[in-house]
Amino acid sequence: MPSPELEIQNLKVSFSTPKGKLTAVNGISFHINSGETLALVGESGCGKTVSALSILRLLPEPPAEIISGKILFAGQDLLSLSSKQFQDLRGNAISMIFQDPMTSLNPVLTVGEQIIETLLRHTNMNRQEARKKSAELLSRVELPAPKEKLTHYPHQLSGGMRQRVMIAMALACKPRVLIADEPTTALDVLIQSQILDLLHSLKKETGMSILFITHDLGVVAEIAQRVIVMYAGEIIESGPAQALLQKPYHPYTKGLIASIPKLGARDQPGSRLEEISGNVPSLDQRPSGCPFHPRCPSVMDQCKSQAPELSQVEPERYTSCHLEPESL
Amino acid sequence: MNTEKLLVVQDLKKHFQPSKKFLQTTPAPVRAVDGISFTLLKGETLGLVGESGCGKSTAARTLLRLLEPTSGQVSFCGTQLFDLKEAEMRTLRSEMQIIFQDPYSSVNPGRRIGKILQEPFEIHGFKDNKENTEKAKHLLKQVGLTPGHFNSYPHELSGGQLQRVGIARAIALSPKLIVADEPVSALDVSIRAQVINLLLDLKERLNMSYLFISHDLGVVEYFCDRVAVMYLGKIIEFADNEQIYNSPQHPYTQALLNAIPNLESGRDKQKITLKGDISMLAPQRKGCAFLNRCPIKEKRCEEQEPVLKEIAPGHQVACLLKS
Repeated sequence: MPSPELEIQNLKVSFSTPKGKLTAVNGISFHINSGETLALVGESGCGKTVSALSILRLLPEPPAEIISGKILFAGQDLLSLSSKQFQDLRGNAISMIFQDPMTSLNPVLTVGEQIIETLLRHTNMNRQEARKKSAELLSRVELPAPKEKLTHYPHQLSGGMRQRVMIAMALACKPRVLIADEPTTALDVLIQSQILDLLHSLKKETGMSILFITHDLGVVAEIAQRVIVMYAGEIIESGPAQALLQKPYHPYTKGLIASIPKLGARDQPGSRLEEISGNVPSLDQRPSGCPFHPRCPSVMDQCKSQAPELSQVEPERYTSCHLEPESL
Repeated sequence: MNTEKLLVVQDLKKHFQPSKKFLQTTPAPVRAVDGISFTLLKGETLGLVGESGCGKSTAARTLLRLLEPTSGQVSFCGTQLFDLKEAEMRTLRSEMQIIFQDPYSSVNPGRRIGKILQEPFEIHGFKDNKENTEKAKHLLKQVGLTPGHFNSYPHELSGGQLQRVGIARAIALSPKLIVADEPVSALDVSIRAQVINLLLDLKERLNMSYLFISHDLGVVEYFCDRVAVMYLGKIIEFADNEQIYNSPQHPYTQALLNAIPNLESGRDKQKITLKGDISMLAPQRKGCAFLNRCPIKEKRCEEQEPVLKEIAPGHQVACLLKS
């Protein structure tokens, strides 16, 4: 039995807004095993990024507020740490890469300065050693001419190269958990494929765990061992990646998979994609009962009033739906 | 199939001249679009595919004359667009419309949706306010929104709904040609399918032609009758939908298809990932533009620049090794 590296228990996060207190993450629990890649899947506004940011305590509080929950890492509850204690952890044992590398790198510092800064903060290296290490890191993320690149500013690099720099920086202190928030969404397919390859080989090399946040199920199939599907702040399905993608249980997951244009799947010119009707609910218009019921093709009366709970349907497979498991 | 030509593009070029810096010689122009030619038939959908930076959006904007071309000819229904005066062009724009990638930045955030949709009519001389209101409401219905959205502001709509507004605005004056510049890239997965289906429906209903720009070959397969693959400002492969997907010839097209994440196979599949990206290539004057990244290059590729050649009916490739 693999041991959990990071465990999230009943996390609930809300935001104070002019429209009142809105719940973005509604009591979710999950864990990441060591050496595992776990994908957190969902559409914009489903709470996946908020969950990730609350693990690293990067949410601005206020307006955000972690109402309840525990985040267990190496035997301690991260939510009980002081912000000073947390600084030693962030970027060190747990680090993060973001969707848009242009806005998450400092535009007025050279690439080298930014990596060195991380190393100086978390290790005992002196400047010279840190500089040498930075060049090593850049060559490990397969950036051509790494020594030269240290003196470059972010705007001189392309999107794919910037994402490599972000990854180098995140790996500087050999983290045990890497949180990757849509790291390939802003890139096009070829570069996406390169970055996925890179993450894959780095994980093999270092044995770290990855929490991979994405809305692209194709990417999930490429990189993750286990998947969690979120909708409107709740986990609606989870399980091993291959099994879940081949045989999804929840109507939302089914719809998501069916709506992806697959290569070679078009029967004839002009044929239509399957679609999920309606829109993702905004936080202030959360439907009663099951949050997916207004868009669900197999909605029943019960779904409108009563929220289903996440329950096991087969070993390692969980889903939250009122339908009988046989008819899912 | 209708064979009436709607749009004929001949050797279109758009070069950008970077500004000269102090004490430096004039830098070489950036050849964003470097001589592309194609024909779009009436009722047809043509896909323009390539990585970011390959010039696909510049090509689209130049042929609509949103950017002034460096050279080349574009004929739309027999009219030479680049010979027209500004005012004549403005009249003709009702026939050719564009949908942008980011729905939020392509509408005025301070205007109500109704006003945004009435504007095309007002600009093109329909002064009857009441009638324009009716038309705008009808447009909302056509793209699957409700008349209730008429008085909403853009920020009250989701990305998918706002992209529908962008589509409604584009079809307002019943254009013959719609240029769709990555219309679904910024949308969520479940919304993406809705918008693709809407665009397919509208095309059939209104008998329009699309120039569909995307980097996602999966979406393009659903959408397009023919596909042109661009690389560094040039078209390197041009074929029917089936040909591109069943027998891609250019190594770049093969790599693009290979890079699409596959739901079934996962990582087991042996993948050939192309190294490098467009930006790191030094401009070279000789040989094939794809040379530095090509997995199958030979000596002669360094010397000779390939041109588009027909290798099967309707299938053109610019690769020395394939023709």
